[in-house]
Amino acid sequence: MQGLPAMFAQWETAVQAWLVGLGGFGDLVTFVTRFFFPLMTLALFLRCLWPLMSGGRRPKPWALAETPDGTRLPLVHWENAVGSGKNCDVTLDDPAVSRTHAVISRRRDGWYVTDMGSAGGTAVGGTPCAGTVRFEEGDLLTLAGVELTVLPVEGDYDRPRQRRGLSGWAADAARSLKPGVTLLYLLLFQLTALAAFAFGAGAGFSLTVPVAYLMFMALECLYFLFTRGRGRRRIEPELLAFFLCGIGLFVAAADPDSLLKQVGAIAIGLLLFLVLTFFLNNIDRARLARYVFAGGSVALLALNLLLGETRFGARNWLSLGPVSIQPSELVKVAFVFAGAASLEYLLTRRNLIMFLGFSGVCVGALGLMRDFGAAVIFFAGFLVMAFLRSGDARLLLVGLAVAAAGAFLAISIMPYIAARFAAWGNAWAFADTTGYQQTRTMIYTASGGLLGTGLGHGFLRHVAAADTDLVFGVVAEEWGLIVALACALAPLALAFFAATSVRAARSAFYAIAACGAAVILLTQTALNVFGSLDILPLTGVTLPFVSNGGSSMVGCWGLLACIKSIDERHRSGRG
Amino acid sequence: MKLMGRRAWIVLVFCALFSVGIGALLGGYAKDAPRWATYPANRYFYSGGRLIRAGTIYDRNGAALAETVDGQRRYHESADVRRALMHLTGDPGGNVASSLQVAMRDKLTGWSAVTGAYTFPGAGGQDLHTTVDAALCRAAYEALDGRPGAVGIMNYRTGELLCMVSSPTFDPQKPPDLAADPEAYEGVYLNRLLSASFAPGSVFKLVTAAAALDCLPGVGERTFSCDGLLTLEDGRITCPHAHGEQTLGQAMTNSCNVAFAQLALELGETRLTQYAQKAGFGRRGLTLDGIPVSGGSFTLADATQADLGWAGVGQYKTLAVPLDYLLYVSAIANDGRAVTPHILRGAGDGLFGLWTRPGERVLAADTAETLTGLMRDNVLNNYGEGKLAAYRLCAKTGTAEVGGGKAPHAWFVGFLDSAEAPLCFVVLVENGGSGGSVAAGIAKTLLAQAIKLD
Repeated sequence: MQGLPAMFAQWETAVQAWLVGLGGFGDLVTFVTRFFFPLMTLALFLRCLWPLMSGGRRPKPWALAETPDGTRLPLVHWENAVGSGKNCDVTLDDPAVSRTHAVISRRRDGWYVTDMGSAGGTAVGGTPCAGTVRFEEGDLLTLAGVELTVLPVEGDYDRPRQRRGLSGWAADAARSLKPGVTLLYLLLFQLTALAAFAFGAGAGFSLTVPVAYLMFMALECLYFLFTRGRGRRRIEPELLAFFLCGIGLFVAAADPDSLLKQVGAIAIGLLLFLVLTFFLNNIDRARLARYVFAGGSVALLALNLLLGETRFGARNWLSLGPVSIQPSELVKVAFVFAGAASLEYLLTRRNLIMFLGFSGVCVGALGLMRDFGAAVIFFAGFLVMAFLRSGDARLLLVGLAVAAAGAFLAISIMPYIAARFAAWGNAWAFADTTGYQQTRTMIYTASGGLLGTGLGHGFLRHVAAADTDLVFGVVAEEWGLIVALACALAPLALAFFAATSVRAARSAFYAIAACGAAVILLTQTALNVFGSLDILPLTGVTLPFVSNGGSSMVGCWGLLACIKSIDERHRSGRG
Repeated sequence: MKLMGRRAWIVLVFCALFSVGIGALLGGYAKDAPRWATYPANRYFYSGGRLIRAGTIYDRNGAALAETVDGQRRYHESADVRRALMHLTGDPGGNVASSLQVAMRDKLTGWSAVTGAYTFPGAGGQDLHTTVDAALCRAAYEALDGRPGAVGIMNYRTGELLCMVSSPTFDPQKPPDLAADPEAYEGVYLNRLLSASFAPGSVFKLVTAAAALDCLPGVGERTFSCDGLLTLEDGRITCPHAHGEQTLGQAMTNSCNVAFAQLALELGETRLTQYAQKAGFGRRGLTLDGIPVSGGSFTLADATQADLGWAGVGQYKTLAVPLDYLLYVSAIANDGRAVTPHILRGAGDGLFGLWTRPGERVLAADTAETLTGLMRDNVLNNYGEGKLAAYRLCAKTGTAEVGGGKAPHAWFVGFLDSAEAPLCFVVLVENGGSGGSVAAGIAKTLLAQAIKLD
């Protein structure tokens, strides 16, 4: 009786012989599919981005706030700013009411009102309140003499106008783009790519590739069925991530072992995504965990500093028995989480000290590891999250000044840092030394043209770190510039989606988490893509979801969960 | 949340910055992708820095000057043709910047912005059909006989270059060890017709004469007296010997420095500069079907009277690229309009061959006619026309002093005033001595061969 490995090897040899026997057929497949992939990518992106960009995100109100003249204003968020200013969620047009007078927030155990230091004061049932006070639906709130009653959602209220005309049509059309059909497009794209890769491989064909890839596709289908079962319909962000993962797997496929690892990483990432999505759904639970996350992040980074290994010039690897991980990739998720949650009862307190300290520790630790790319990414995330919470533009300036001073200090104390970036902007002058990777990326990006030279045949694969730092070039060479640009633009679409969804977000917690995560992904994409093409210094960070690497893959899925938390479209009823 | 919605602009700032980066990426790609793709480390096209996948370069008769056979670049079968056209095809190391294998490597390799380096297996790069005649170039190479210099022969109706040869050169099929004999191979990677500039000497008198004919009324009827020396306040202009009383035509034939220095002084630096620029001296950015051509220079800034006089006879600081002369005489031959030079067949056909842009007017038609007469007289009265009697050879010699105890550069520039053989030419032999004897002989031999071409 033959063992399974022996059978596997036998089949592999048989397929290889068959492929070789086909002769020039593989060339023909490449010739045809290189037109198919860009077209299919455009179709997929249209189907994913349109629903993401076109509204349809009008949350149902939790309660109604009734004013003395009988107007019923919906309270759609968990934190609702009330005041006379036009930036308030509930606007009271009365001169006695301060601009931002109070915040009405909904928590698990009921309603709370917090006076924001208003001139006229806030009272619940006639009792003036200091700080945060709990009240019941039906209680009378008095804001500087203006009376307000919070009522359950019954009967009529001032519904936002239904959109008409072109934008209404666009929203309807977007809703009609069913994710299930988009998934079918994606599966067709990936199956075709798998065939093209196999035919192109010829005698170098490895049976592990289709096996691993079909496992990945099964994962996609399972996820879709799971979301259907949970009644969630809009899964465009996940589909985008699947698209990117699918491309990345072909970069990893040159080495069947790393391909299997990568599929495993996707599975773990997806699991983390599901756990985090579930976890984030309950804000109180999430908030309680913030110290755990913050502490865990610092501990992981400290461990990394003490025991880390240096690879490719940065001391950012940690070996745990047979697996080695890059802690900074995982800390990103915890960073966003802790950053979003560390503001006690959002909107009501502006204390940033804790978050500042935490961010400082993270960025500093990364600097010590010489993982400058990650330090920049964290810093960008910090800027966005801190600004969203404080609204203080001075904070941005101070932050940038501190960063500039830090960078200057680092360069003057450690001149070899400057040497690492010497080739920046001038890679062709160092084409065969410090600019080697950048110039090779440019050479082969241009060699790919718009349509690519065929899967698995690229020359850039043979350059060091091609499957991680230079992966944009590998995709551009083999799939063409159109598909490569799609990989770079997907995070941009997610960031745009997060920014435009903030207004409709249930809670500031989700808004901060989503924006922080999206900017982290976007900055990382920028450093990877522009770094490899000598537009920015080459810092050696990964391209989200595409680059080969387990920690990075898992971390990206974690960040996607944070972005997804702002997506109100799938939530029905009370979260 | 409205408040936070407003603050979300900061995320949009990141989006905008990212978009700027994407713009830079696309801009860089649009501008530089051909250069990126054809860098000699690209393994689609090169192996060990040597071109392995590129189309064939043909001469005007369809002879393959360079082709790829079994992944190896193979040059013409005749070693002399290979040497004669090395500067056109390029060498294996890609050292000749103005060669087709360097300047047009994006076309030759078949790279395109849409399909990149991809070709269906078995397909090669794109072929280039040039206008040169391999046999004529070989004859030019042999006529130069190893002396440094350049030969250019062009059809002044179509702008097609029939001959473009530069010396020193070497065999691109078996590149020698250049370092072993640095003197013999000095500037070997330069195509002297396009990329090197030289003192023009007396050939410049054609420019001074054009300016005088236009700006000094009655100059054709005047006589010029030469006793071998013109003394000015700040220097002197000399001739090899006294030419005595001469008309403008005789002064041209005698190549009299005194007469032309006088004309330059009468014209003044403004008008002389204007005509020099019109003639193309100091022009920048000229290309030969995409091959960059160097610019010469003409300046009279801080010039004394004597400098102005010497500039009028082509000495002073003036430098000319030989191709500049070819274009200037093409204007004289073409009733005042210079043609656009071409090295690729069909490049000058314009819109579907139906319409071609007329050349730029460099000279007034009657000035061009008068100059033609003067140049014709040069040949009849001085240089002789050998076997070219039926083709009305018009020409001007130049003997440009280079100083440093070296022999002067020998120039011979002109055209055939003939509808059957509308050819113009420039011959330069560096340190070759007198233009009339050395360069003129080469030119006449080659023209005799060129008129037999179709």
